Amino acid sequence: MTKPIRRILVYVDGTEQSVTAAEFAIVLAKSLGADLFALYVVNTRALSELVKAHIFLDSEQEEYHRDLDEDAERYLNHVRNLARSKGVSVTAERSSGAVHQEILAKVREHGVDLLVLGEISQIRSRRDELYNETERAMRSVACSVLIAKNEDRIAELFEELE
Amino acid sequence: MALIDLIQEDVVRVPLEAGTKEGIIRELVQTLAAAGKVADPEAAARAVLDREAKGSTGLEEGVAVPHGKTPAVQSLAIAVGVAPRGVEFQALDGKPSNLFFLILAPPDQSGPHIEALAEIARLCRSKAFCRTLVSSRNAREVVELFQD
Repeated sequence: MTKPIRRILVYVDGTEQSVTAAEFAIVLAKSLGADLFALYVVNTRALSELVKAHIFLDSEQEEYHRDLDEDAERYLNHVRNLARSKGVSVTAERSSGAVHQEILAKVREHGVDLLVLGEISQIRSRRDELYNETERAMRSVACSVLIAKNEDRIAELFEELE
Repeated sequence: MALIDLIQEDVVRVPLEAGTKEGIIRELVQTLAAAGKVADPEAAARAVLDREAKGSTGLEEGVAVPHGKTPAVQSLAIAVGVAPRGVEFQALDGKPSNLFFLILAPPDQSGPHIEALAEIARLCRSKAFCRTLVSSRNAREVVELFQD
C-alpha cells in the first residue's frame, strides 16, 4: 500500500496557532515518514490594499514590508529549529503575494497531499469579508486539510516525539 | 486569530464619550487595558498618536482605523468604538468620524496585524454594514453584527 500522506505543507503566519500547527506537522511528518514543507507568505497584496484604502502611508508600506521579511525569517527559522530538534527535515520557504493564492500554488508545485493550518475561528459568520486568509486557503485548496487544535495535546505529542 | 474572534463585548465602547481625536484614541486604549489586553496604556496610546501624527487614519464615510505597533501588547488587540454624533478626526473626506477600529500589535507580529487591517478594509467597503454598526445601541449589538 502506498503511503496515505507523502507530502505535508504547514502554513506559518506568526500566530501561536500556526506554531502549534508546525509542531503537529512535524509530529505527523515523522510518524508517517512524509516530506515536510513550511511556508510563510509576505502578504504584499494586503499591503497594497491598505495603501489603496488610505489606511497605510507609502512609508508605512515599506516599513511593514521590511517587518514582514524579518518575521518570515524568524518564524521559518523557528520551524527549522523545531524540526531539527526532532530529527525531521523541512523545506522552509517564503513567498510573496496573496496568502491563500500562494498556499494553493505551493500545494500544486510540491504535490502536497496534506495542508496543516492553525486553528481558525469557531465563529461562523455569514459575512464573506470575515473569512481570513487561512480560511480562504482551507476552503479553496485541492488537497486534504488538517486544522491543528488542542495546543496542550499537540505540545505533549511534540515533546514525546523522539 | 481571526478578526471575528478578537471582537468581544469587553473591547467595544458604545457610545464613546471623548470628543477629540486624542481622547478617542486614549478611551479605546483604556478599553483594551480594562479588558486586560494592554500592559502599558500610555505607551500604547503614544504609539497610535505617533502614527496619527504622520497622517490621519480617518477614512471616508465616518470610518477611522487608528493603529500602531507596540510592545505594550503581547498579541494582536482590537477595540471598536462608536461615536454616533461624530468626532473630528481629520478624515479624508473632511467629515466627522463615528466608527473607530483601534488596532495594536506587537512589533514581531506584523503578519496578523496587516491581515486584521485588511479584513477591516474589506468590511468597511460595505456602507450598509457601517451604517448598521453606527446605529448600534450597545456593545452586544456590535458583537452580534459581526457574528451575524
